[in-house]
Amino acid sequence: MTAVAGTADFVRAPAEIRRARILGIVYLLLATVVFLFFAVGTEGDVTFRLGDQPGDLDFTVSAQVLATFTAVVFAFLGGIQLTKGFGAKTNVVLAIAIGLFAFSFLGWAAAGKSLSLIGMLGTTVALAAPIAFGALSGVMCERVGVINIGIEGMLLTGAFTGAVVGTVMSPLFGILGAAIAGGLMALALAVLAIKYRVDQIIAGVVINIFALGLTSFLSSQFLVENASGLNNPGVLGPIRIPLLAEIPVLGRILFDQNIFIYVMYLLVAGMTYGLFKTRWGLQSRAVGEHPKAADTLGINVFRRRYINVFLGGLIAGFGGAYFTLGSVGAFNENMTAGRGFIGLAAMIFGRWHPVGALGAALVFGFADSLQVKLGILDTGIPSEFLLSAPYLVTIIVVAGVVGKARPPAADGQPYIKE
Amino acid sequence: MKRNARYLALLGVLVLVIAACGDGADDGTTTTAEAEGTTTTAEAEAEETATTAEAEATTTTEAPPSVEAITACQVTDTGGIDDKSFNQTAWKGVTDAIDAGLATADSDFLESQSATDYQPNIQAFLDKGCDLIITVGFLLGADTETMANANPDQHFQIIDFAYEPGVADSVQGAVFGTTDAAFLAGYLAAGVTETGIVATYGGIQIPCAVTCFMDGFVYGVRYYNEVNGTDVQTLGWNPEDETGVFTGDFEDLAKGRAVTQSFVDEGADVILPVAGPVGEGSAALALELGDVWVIGVDADWFETLPQYEAQILSSVLKGLDVAVFTAIREVAEGTFEGGTRLYAIAEDGVGLGAINDDVPQPLQDEVAALLESLKEGSIVPGDQALS
Repeated sequence: MTAVAGTADFVRAPAEIRRARILGIVYLLLATVVFLFFAVGTEGDVTFRLGDQPGDLDFTVSAQVLATFTAVVFAFLGGIQLTKGFGAKTNVVLAIAIGLFAFSFLGWAAAGKSLSLIGMLGTTVALAAPIAFGALSGVMCERVGVINIGIEGMLLTGAFTGAVVGTVMSPLFGILGAAIAGGLMALALAVLAIKYRVDQIIAGVVINIFALGLTSFLSSQFLVENASGLNNPGVLGPIRIPLLAEIPVLGRILFDQNIFIYVMYLLVAGMTYGLFKTRWGLQSRAVGEHPKAADTLGINVFRRRYINVFLGGLIAGFGGAYFTLGSVGAFNENMTAGRGFIGLAAMIFGRWHPVGALGAALVFGFADSLQVKLGILDTGIPSEFLLSAPYLVTIIVVAGVVGKARPPAADGQPYIKE
Repeated sequence: MKRNARYLALLGVLVLVIAACGDGADDGTTTTAEAEGTTTTAEAEAEETATTAEAEATTTTEAPPSVEAITACQVTDTGGIDDKSFNQTAWKGVTDAIDAGLATADSDFLESQSATDYQPNIQAFLDKGCDLIITVGFLLGADTETMANANPDQHFQIIDFAYEPGVADSVQGAVFGTTDAAFLAGYLAAGVTETGIVATYGGIQIPCAVTCFMDGFVYGVRYYNEVNGTDVQTLGWNPEDETGVFTGDFEDLAKGRAVTQSFVDEGADVILPVAGPVGEGSAALALELGDVWVIGVDADWFETLPQYEAQILSSVLKGLDVAVFTAIREVAEGTFEGGTRLYAIAEDGVGLGAINDDVPQPLQDEVAALLESLKEGSIVPGDQALS
């Protein structure tokens, strides 16, 4: 967005100037909103609990002071944004500002009460995990130019296979089986999209319908009758990493989680390194941007696409197992409930980058857990409105923060070798 | 390329066939297998008869020999037939009727994967020539009305929907006095909580079908406070403002678990999920934590989800099976009528299921006494002071 950082006199595109101005006005508006709604007339202290037990690590602040402080910061930010601008740091500042806004909003909602902030962060991670797996799977596929709408179906297949294999054999085999099942689904997509050049959106939708129909059919025919023998794998509990888990706040979120969350962090790191620092990644990205050029250079476009789509399927299948083996311990029809599609949105919002995808998933997860917390705090906000909050956040963030995101140039285009 | 296209077409057909199968047991053979399988469990349950609602179902199973069995067909909402509560309990009413010789083995169900499936599924059963079509749930209200008005001679029963007089008069709407049953659960929850905080959440904010459970639960807690001078708090629902915590669907079990975790983070140790299968997410977390109780809804969770029995406090029973069974019997006997039918606590249309053995006997006795008071009408949920 801002190509030249650090120099004050760089030339900015008109669209960029417009965006900076709009953002500045938004800051000022938010400052007014925060002050009028959250500060004026709010009484009582709010206690944010950061420890496992009440009283462990409490942080008490007057809700009014918090809101006033936020309003002042926002006014200040708006001023800078309108005059000087933040340049390359615009997005970082905005992210911090959004966090502060959420914080003062919570303060207003919980005035006079206490609130487990650490619990909220934990829920955020739990709700974000399946979205993140979906998004990472999407990154894997789309970086080589294959659109994967079938993520939802792969998650569902993974969830089903994980539950059944996990019960019949063991949870670890369940994870393995789930990943392979997702991979097989992806291979079907790959054959349709790469070999037969079927419209990739349609192929993905077919995968989704197929997965939903198949798992629902098998579930109502077999799992219901024999739940204890086929659908009772148990849940893989958290693995506490000694010492590191003792770190306040971060310890519980990063180092006291089940295997799925660890793998999620590792995948993000591994994929980022793989895609941007290795030969494989360079070749993959070349195939996604300009397959013809890649082919000319001797890269086997088809093989690269097959392999990466299969890997994407493995990730989605593994992520699907999170629903059954990492969260609930039983399969239920359509239990992925559209998370795969939100994963796709997270991928776009994260700009086809693994770290961005995880960040986007966490934003969705946070919005979702914020919605639950506001419901618990009995703020009088209608439940239907609260339920739409995650999607509202999406619109605001995608429109305001992300700006223009560019997909890989050959995304969705079948390659025809001449 | 031509040859490839042919394979592709074949694959496409295969996909569609299998996907269609997933929509429910369409053909007679699979349905029979389904029906038989469920019948054996129904028999086993009948032998144990833990609950009064079931007791009624079994006492009415003696059908007059003159009655001819009818074909009863159930359209589920998106929760699916295996949701451990709502649709599954209604389907139990059908299998009970098959068992009693009131319904034929041709009786069937169709699962709705999305709201757009409701009308086609009803149409499929109209084409099949079902004697009674049972649409399960408030969400099917509008579609049932449309189809009933287009086919005035068809018998329809809808669960959890009361039409205004003059609208879809041929449909029998079964509604339930769940507020009373959940009142008992609220009292029980307030009696066992150690943190002094209990909680409830719903799937979708559907007036009465979901929220009446939550209303009753809160009222029950308030009544406990009134009687015992305690200050037990309820999170997740405010009956006065009609706002609270909802997961947004009846499918996302992981969300149910996350919501429950949020409640536990705020100190709650008894959870009533009113969200069909989503509640299993709560049960899974409760089992993992070990010091949190969960209360089942619709069916007796000791029977439908026995793997969580250690943390199941009790279940709020909603006699969907009784309602469906009654409607089938009435159609078979020729006495079926449209209009709204209330299944109240007084005639055991709703009630409280088995209570966990770890609950102290005095408290169990208090709940039993409270049930009698509710049946008499000497205590009315909703009259309690705000706490």
